[in-house]
Amino acid sequence: MTERFDAVIVGLGSSGGIMAEQLSAAGMRVLGLEKGRDHTQADFEIKHDELRYYQRGAIVAGVSVDPVTWRPDPGSTARVLPWSAGVLGTDEPLYGLPSIGTGGGTLHWGAAAYRFREADFRMRSAILERFGEQALPDGTTLQDWPLSYQDLEPYYDRAEWEQGVSGAAGNVGGELRDGGNPFESPRSRDYPMPPVTPGPGDGPFVAATRRLGLHPFRQPLGINSREYRGRPACVNCGFCHGYPCHVRAKSTTQVTSVPAAKATGNFELRDMSRVLRVLRSADGRRATGVEYVDAHDVLHTVEADLVVLAAYSLENVRLLLVSGINEHGQVGKNFMTHNFGWFASVLPDATNPFMGTFNASSAIDDYTSEIVPDNDLGVLWGAPIISVTGDLQPIEAYHLMNPRVRKWGLEFKHWLRDNYTHLHRMYSQSTNFPSSRHYLDLDPAVKDRWGQPAIRITHEWEDHDANAVTLFGRYKARIAQEMGARETWMDPARPPYHLSTHDVGVHRMGEDPTSSVTDRFGSVHGCAGLYALGGGGFVSYGGYNPNLTIQALTYWSADHILDTAGTRPKDLAAV
Amino acid sequence: MRPLFFLNPDEARIIDAIASHVIPSEPGSPGAREAGVVHYIDDTLAGFGRDLQGAYRSGLEALQAAVAPYGARTFADLDEERQRGILEAAEASPDVPDAFLGQFFAIVCEHVVQGFFGDPAYGGNVDEIGWRLVGYPGAQWGFSADQMRPGVDARSIPILTVADLYARVGTSA
Repeated sequence: MTERFDAVIVGLGSSGGIMAEQLSAAGMRVLGLEKGRDHTQADFEIKHDELRYYQRGAIVAGVSVDPVTWRPDPGSTARVLPWSAGVLGTDEPLYGLPSIGTGGGTLHWGAAAYRFREADFRMRSAILERFGEQALPDGTTLQDWPLSYQDLEPYYDRAEWEQGVSGAAGNVGGELRDGGNPFESPRSRDYPMPPVTPGPGDGPFVAATRRLGLHPFRQPLGINSREYRGRPACVNCGFCHGYPCHVRAKSTTQVTSVPAAKATGNFELRDMSRVLRVLRSADGRRATGVEYVDAHDVLHTVEADLVVLAAYSLENVRLLLVSGINEHGQVGKNFMTHNFGWFASVLPDATNPFMGTFNASSAIDDYTSEIVPDNDLGVLWGAPIISVTGDLQPIEAYHLMNPRVRKWGLEFKHWLRDNYTHLHRMYSQSTNFPSSRHYLDLDPAVKDRWGQPAIRITHEWEDHDANAVTLFGRYKARIAQEMGARETWMDPARPPYHLSTHDVGVHRMGEDPTSSVTDRFGSVHGCAGLYALGGGGFVSYGGYNPNLTIQALTYWSADHILDTAGTRPKDLAAV
Repeated sequence: MRPLFFLNPDEARIIDAIASHVIPSEPGSPGAREAGVVHYIDDTLAGFGRDLQGAYRSGLEALQAAVAPYGARTFADLDEERQRGILEAAEASPDVPDAFLGQFFAIVCEHVVQGFFGDPAYGGNVDEIGWRLVGYPGAQWGFSADQMRPGVDARSIPILTVADLYARVGTSA
């Protein structure tokens, strides 16, 4: 007999973990299906190993298991993206899919817990007001969000307090506060914790940006600066971005929401279970459950009135497409991903870049979003400039070293010997606009080991993307000069990666089903009981890390689901 | 000689010779050779990097073809100057499809760096030679706020390895 649950959640990561907690706490019987392992803390107790996690990707799915293909344009044949160090092991392993298992992307994340700003939710309107419609690049499918910052503010607050974010508020209810970010949108209250201990390399960035008249602030991080909700403070190990946390100080749903869901008694988690498709009623108008294979490749069917896809933007799209759910041809459109614009410096004083977490550091928002300075490059939207001070082990340092230096021989040996402990990095995630040229579909040739097509990315960096990197490179160069940098270098404006764990927009929210995939709560148009969560729902993409917005949107969706269902979850099918 | 798991002794000598060009040894400053990088590579090819066995065998063949004009038995038997010349020529053409030598050299460079800077448990980085070179204190459980202050000389922090952390938590693996 087929099993029945009130809800099935596909993927127990950032959004799936939160949804599991919210629904099960409200009394729904919830099944969680996770393709990776249900990690235990013992798995991570000694994780201080660059080869295991950074180089060999111990907590990400291998390219042989979850192939993703890429092509720059429809005229080219897609090839399997050489992510996770590539087929020859010679590529930068940073640009891959998120970690898997309970916690998902919140296992590996660098924990930057930014809110988007008010204007980020109305990017199209704000650009039109300042620059006019003709300024938008050809092919742009940019829209405003179907919700505002004010709609989401209570949910940002909830994510910060429930998941645990440290930081310094800059604007509480319109009142500016010293030490915080004066450009942030108003928040209803401060963070639950003060910032973590800064990395030694942050001082020069703060001093230089202040001298330049800018406004450095400590970044919000999903990392405990003191004991919070039974989890200890960060110990600054420096194996954080790309690594699981050995002391549970990093906020991941593996240690926040998933255990809370389990504690309700209403949640059952089946790990090593890979969902193959969403099942629907005969007329296709209603989700009825899912089909999945377990660790032994045994096929199972479960029924549920509510099916929540929370498997990462790319995988959500793949599941929708292989399930035949794409009524208006919008699934997979509007692919967006960050161009990081890495800029590195060698500073006069030691930065000890292996101490503390990646983002135990400051940023400036003086050039962000709609307040991007007038410029000669046609850049319409800005981004923060972020100082990176930690998490840099020697192999990663080798990968990012100055390209002017030969990477073998005495020159190489002496360069790393003399400069490794003086490295400092900056980045700015430049906006890219949704475009008719950037989309996902199913690869016609490449299949995974379960016989399902790989997801195929069609994407190339546009002029606006490259110009934004160039423009922000100038600002970073000015800051580096002010820091007294001995050497500087930066990534190419059109970098080789097209996949980065920051991939969003591909099942975007909107009220019009002919230009979006879900409504503003993540409910898939035309298929009752089916939700798609995560960054796939983003409508536009400014310069901020996606995770806190993903989590706020999940609380927002959960409230909607529970409000609609009242106390009678079984009535969900009538929604 | 430490046992080998994939390479034969001749091949190991060749890889060791290449590695000693990637991170050379100097008086008072050991390099890839002393760090035992060849054993990291051999171990990797027998396990995690098994998919690259073919690439190594093809690369060694391509290297042998480049050595042949000099009349030496193997790359390892050439003098250092000639060795370096072959590697420089390979580096200059990494993307030419029929010149696999360039790609092979890029793979070996990557593996040399991994073996030199990876935890000693993986077979390379003997006596933490790589970490000592650059001033990296290794697998630290954490850093104190005092150690995080600017101006701290990290070389004063005793180096720890993954094995030390296992000892610390009382788990013998």
